Amino acid sequence: MALSLSKGSNISLSKEAPNLTRILVGLGWDPRVSDGQQFDLDASAFLLTASGRVRGDHDFIFYNQLRSQDGSVEHTGDNRTGQGDGDDESIKIDLSRVPADIAKIVVGVTIDEADARRQNFGQVGGAFIRIVDDATGREITRYDLGEDFSTETAVVFGEVYRYGTEWKFRAVGQGFAGGLGPMARGYGVNV
Amino acid sequence: MQAFQTGQKSPLSHLTTSNLLTISARVTGPAAEYDLSLFGLDASGKLSDDRYLVFFNQPATPERAVQMQSGARGEKVFTIDLQRLPQTIRRLSLTATVDDGTFGQIDHAEITVSADGRPVASYRVTGRDFQQERAVMLFDVYFKDLWRVGAVGQGFNGGLEALVRHYGGEVADRPGPTPPRPAPNAAPTPPRPSPSPPPAPATPPAPPINLKKITLDKKGESTRISLKKPGHAEPIRVNLNWDRGGKRSGMFGRITAAADLDLGCMFVLNDGQRGVIQALGNSFGSERLLPHILLDKDDRTGAALDGENLTIFRPDLIHTVLVFTCIYEGTNDFTQVGARLSLKDPQGNEIAVHLSNPDIQRTFCGIALIENIGGEIKVTKEERYFVGAQQCDEHYGFGFRWVAGSK
Repeated sequence: MALSLSKGSNISLSKEAPNLTRILVGLGWDPRVSDGQQFDLDASAFLLTASGRVRGDHDFIFYNQLRSQDGSVEHTGDNRTGQGDGDDESIKIDLSRVPADIAKIVVGVTIDEADARRQNFGQVGGAFIRIVDDATGREITRYDLGEDFSTETAVVFGEVYRYGTEWKFRAVGQGFAGGLGPMARGYGVNV
Repeated sequence: MQAFQTGQKSPLSHLTTSNLLTISARVTGPAAEYDLSLFGLDASGKLSDDRYLVFFNQPATPERAVQMQSGARGEKVFTIDLQRLPQTIRRLSLTATVDDGTFGQIDHAEITVSADGRPVASYRVTGRDFQQERAVMLFDVYFKDLWRVGAVGQGFNGGLEALVRHYGGEVADRPGPTPPRPAPNAAPTPPRPSPSPPPAPATPPAPPINLKKITLDKKGESTRISLKKPGHAEPIRVNLNWDRGGKRSGMFGRITAAADLDLGCMFVLNDGQRGVIQALGNSFGSERLLPHILLDKDDRTGAALDGENLTIFRPDLIHTVLVFTCIYEGTNDFTQVGARLSLKDPQGNEIAVHLSNPDIQRTFCGIALIENIGGEIKVTKEERYFVGAQQCDEHYGFGFRWVAGSK
């Protein structure tokens, strides 16, 4: 049984799943049930150093740059509608290959053209992030974002980070105003 | 009182400790009638008990925990006693439907939630928030660990039927939750003048917003300013300037009057107060008193070096401000007098607009929309041209009464 996290809490992945090397970060949300503009949500990941910044733009993994330079982080591709069961988008991380100077990998979701379409996360239901052991397919932990956000157009769902020799996961649920651009800039990406 | 934006949610306890709520709602627009209904839904969001659909044919739930009354001017008032509501009802969804027309055509829909006799929340949408929807979910009061409220603002093109289907009700021929149409009134509602068609992109695509600090990568349309930082109430300054006009038409032509352009704004404050700041009618506003919006002068000729200046001293108090400019006299072409406007926020972001005219009929320009969204100021460059204030108002749905005036 996977451990469900609440906003702000964390869990040691290394303790929950010894010998863990590759994880799949699954992200999901419900497509809109009503008519009107389509929602297009995009997942992205930031490889950050201990200072909380990317080393360069190549550490920003998103729909136009699906793999990190070293191949340790891979975005499995854009889902334009949120249709389908299970994960809507996912990011694969090979923890054993994450460069030593990367302290954490932040995973966020943004709404494409949120301002033009007048959309925000308050209108998105059933959002979650889950960590799956890629070798066994076992879900290690998940975080259901539930009522944790409303008018944000960009939300950091969670982060995978080094803690001593362990890897941990924290349920973040922190909103950003302004969408992907400001979020990326906040981590030092030149966009 | 808190002004909700579409998608915004809040625990009810942040607004009031009372379990007695009053929700008043009104939709205005070209249709003869907009129906308001309140769906009482179970924990899975379904209308499992038809008796909990409160609408014009069923104005109360069995235990009268929800009751509907008609107020003035088409307003509907729902009184809700959350404590008397059965435990099976976990969500109350306020909806609006229309038979003739769509919600993309409405002027606006406005709801106010009150408790203990004072308003605690408001939510307002305009036709711009919708497209072809004929039924919309406006506002929810729902229980998830605790009672919460949320502004929904989503709808269905299929109208009431689609809405009822969404809530798991049946739309068969039987007299079920589908409200039959009321008999037409003897005196039909006079048709309202239909709103102007949405301004076609008559102008070539506007130049992107010049944002010194922030440049949005996707369609630079708007920027946001957080008010949650210390020293929150810093003013937003708008400047309009133009060149002294007075063109001589031909060698012996008369010199026409110097061009007189006006800067102003339409505003709605968070407390519901609304009005217009403009030189016409000497409504210059005030720095120290509500609405804390001040127009510094009426430059009749463009002679003043610094033009006309409008300052929003308390952006934290506003709900929506539309900055506009119009030609009072002396020209019918903004470009002829080099009209230019700049809007600067406290963080140094700037929107610069060089006014042009799509045609000489449209001498009224909505420049920028400034909205207070949950403690953030969102500035959107509009630059839409209208024939006059009224048409502009209809587009944005402020709902002022406009009369001709002169100065």
